[in-house]
Amino acid sequence: MKNSFFSKQHRKLISDPMGDQNPITIQVLGICSALAITTQLENALVMTMAVIFVMISASMIISILRNKIPNRIRIIVQLIVVAALVALVDQILKAFLPDASEKLSVFIGLIITNCIIMGRLEAFAMGNKVWDSFLDALGNALGYGWILVAVAFVRELFGSGKLMGYEIPGFDYLYDLGYMNNNLMILPPMALIVVGLIIWVQRSRNKELIEEN
Amino acid sequence: MDLINIFIKGIFIENMIFAYFLGMCSYLAVSKTVTTANGLGLAVIFVLGITVPVNYILENQVLKAGALQWLGENFIDVDLNVLSLIMFIAVVSAMVQLVEMIIERFSPGLYSSLGIFLPLIAVNCSILGGALFMQERQYSTIIEATSFALGSGVGWYLAIVAIAAIREKIRYSNVPAPLRGLGITYIITGLMGIAFMCFMGIKI
Amino acid sequence: MNKESNIYTFTFAIIMVLVVGVLLAVTSEVLQPRKKQNKADKKMIDILSAIGIDATRANAKEKYDQYIYDAIIINNTGDVIEGSAFNIDVLFQYRDKTLNPEDKKYPMFKARKDNNDYSIIPMVGSGLWGPIWGFVSLESDYKTIYGAAFNHKAETPGLGAEINTDIFEDPFKGKQIINNDGEFVSIEVKKGGAEEGNLYQVDGITGGTITSDGVTDMLYNTLKIYNTYFSSIIISDDNIDTLSINNNIELK
Repeated sequence: MKNSFFSKQHRKLISDPMGDQNPITIQVLGICSALAITTQLENALVMTMAVIFVMISASMIISILRNKIPNRIRIIVQLIVVAALVALVDQILKAFLPDASEKLSVFIGLIITNCIIMGRLEAFAMGNKVWDSFLDALGNALGYGWILVAVAFVRELFGSGKLMGYEIPGFDYLYDLGYMNNNLMILPPMALIVVGLIIWVQRSRNKELIEEN
Repeated sequence: MDLINIFIKGIFIENMIFAYFLGMCSYLAVSKTVTTANGLGLAVIFVLGITVPVNYILENQVLKAGALQWLGENFIDVDLNVLSLIMFIAVVSAMVQLVEMIIERFSPGLYSSLGIFLPLIAVNCSILGGALFMQERQYSTIIEATSFALGSGVGWYLAIVAIAAIREKIRYSNVPAPLRGLGITYIITGLMGIAFMCFMGIKI
Repeated sequence: MNKESNIYTFTFAIIMVLVVGVLLAVTSEVLQPRKKQNKADKKMIDILSAIGIDATRANAKEKYDQYIYDAIIINNTGDVIEGSAFNIDVLFQYRDKTLNPEDKKYPMFKARKDNNDYSIIPMVGSGLWGPIWGFVSLESDYKTIYGAAFNHKAETPGLGAEINTDIFEDPFKGKQIINNDGEFVSIEVKKGGAEEGNLYQVDGITGGTITSDGVTDMLYNTLKIYNTYFSSIIISDDNIDTLSINNNIELK
């Protein structure tokens, strides 16, 4: 029986990773390339786009080839597919978005080792149809993305008083009152603390996610 | 002494975990007890110390723009930089495979205690990250690159053993339920990162 | 064919490697001109910023052609040598430890803005955590600074990283690198703040001493080389009279 394209099952593939099955906060995956670039919202958005592109393409390719890949080399094949796609994205960024490419520097390359991608390829794309794999990849990438964007939003707003590089209208007034940008926000440790706080909120709302001691 | 500065920088100021968040996945997963953290940390130092120099040679003799000159004059324009990501990850995977085989042969005890983590080092961001940073910073000699690799490894080791020790103790504290486990670990790591920033400006 | 067999595995692997290799090589080649242009645009934006012109990637080339009219290269003894100044990568040169001092090339760009001539000098130095670089423009007397633009790779945010802000760069305007006795003194980035009215100092960055010292050294080491060239053209030029009236230089 063929499911319609957007059946309930399919929608769950996207909504789960964005909430209860969020790859970063629940499954503890993919943090690496996530946090170091969250000093600016623009960087987080570009990184999210890159990850979405790589994840969707990799998932679809692996899914299409899933019955043809020899079992012995399947991890290597997955790795090569991801590495090739990341190299492609890197080239495209260098050509069309050079400023973003400079700021993201090595972290684009680190998408290869982003645990989420390899994890989903092995756990899902290797055993499911193309459309399902596409949705699963999209869901996980968006789940990863929204955490990145949330952290970057907080850090850029409080750390430099700007969003996307633009000054916020009301801030002049605040500066005159003596408000100063929280420089600590721009420094690396705050990214971790902000994620910790997001986890706190998430688990308070859904008691099932609380870890047992 | 430049080499020592690079080494110290890698441990304290440009710590793979606290400054760049590389290798967090295994860091968070393996830091429940100090013994496993110790084993993985040592493995990371070892693998970094091997893969970064090898990738350095690869970068300077094959990948960099004009690197292939030694093959012949007409190769001077060749820039294989686009292949660097794939080649680095290939080298890392191969090296880890090699290390795995060596450890299994010479120390079966260590091999079984490390379990699944050894192959996981291949996709540990800190290893590939080490190679990519080496490429970006263009270290002038292989000794500098190795010094950087070992420094980063020791820094990673310090971070994971420290957090494991804290996590063991924190089981007896009143951590709010939603923060238990993952959440409090993130926050503690952040606080440790702030503490490590005190080392900024050290120059030998 | 059995997909687990050796032959199949081998063939699969080879085809995969070939496809990937070709794909990446083609992409890289196709995008190469764009990447080159991006690098060139960035350099032009940096050079123009030294004379206070804000350019964007869109209009970089146009503005560069509008304001920059010449580019020369000098060697470490101040002699002009042949070559394309724009294509010299000063950062690469700085890091190349195998290069002899006499082989080093020092580019300089000449700009004309509002009927005044300026000389733009690129420079590279070492900050606390990585390289720092900058572009300084001198007025036609080769001793007064018209503008300065600095940047860095890895300095501490809020401290050393502040060298690329207006607050740090603006005070350079009007300072001089040659004192009243005609000696080359460069500019000192003074910890604790420049003395009132001192033409050869600017304020250092509190908490960013090592980076500030890096800027001082960078300015001194680079401008020293160019100064040899400047002295030779000042002595041999026709504008000798105008120069001596403006700057009280005693000619021997």
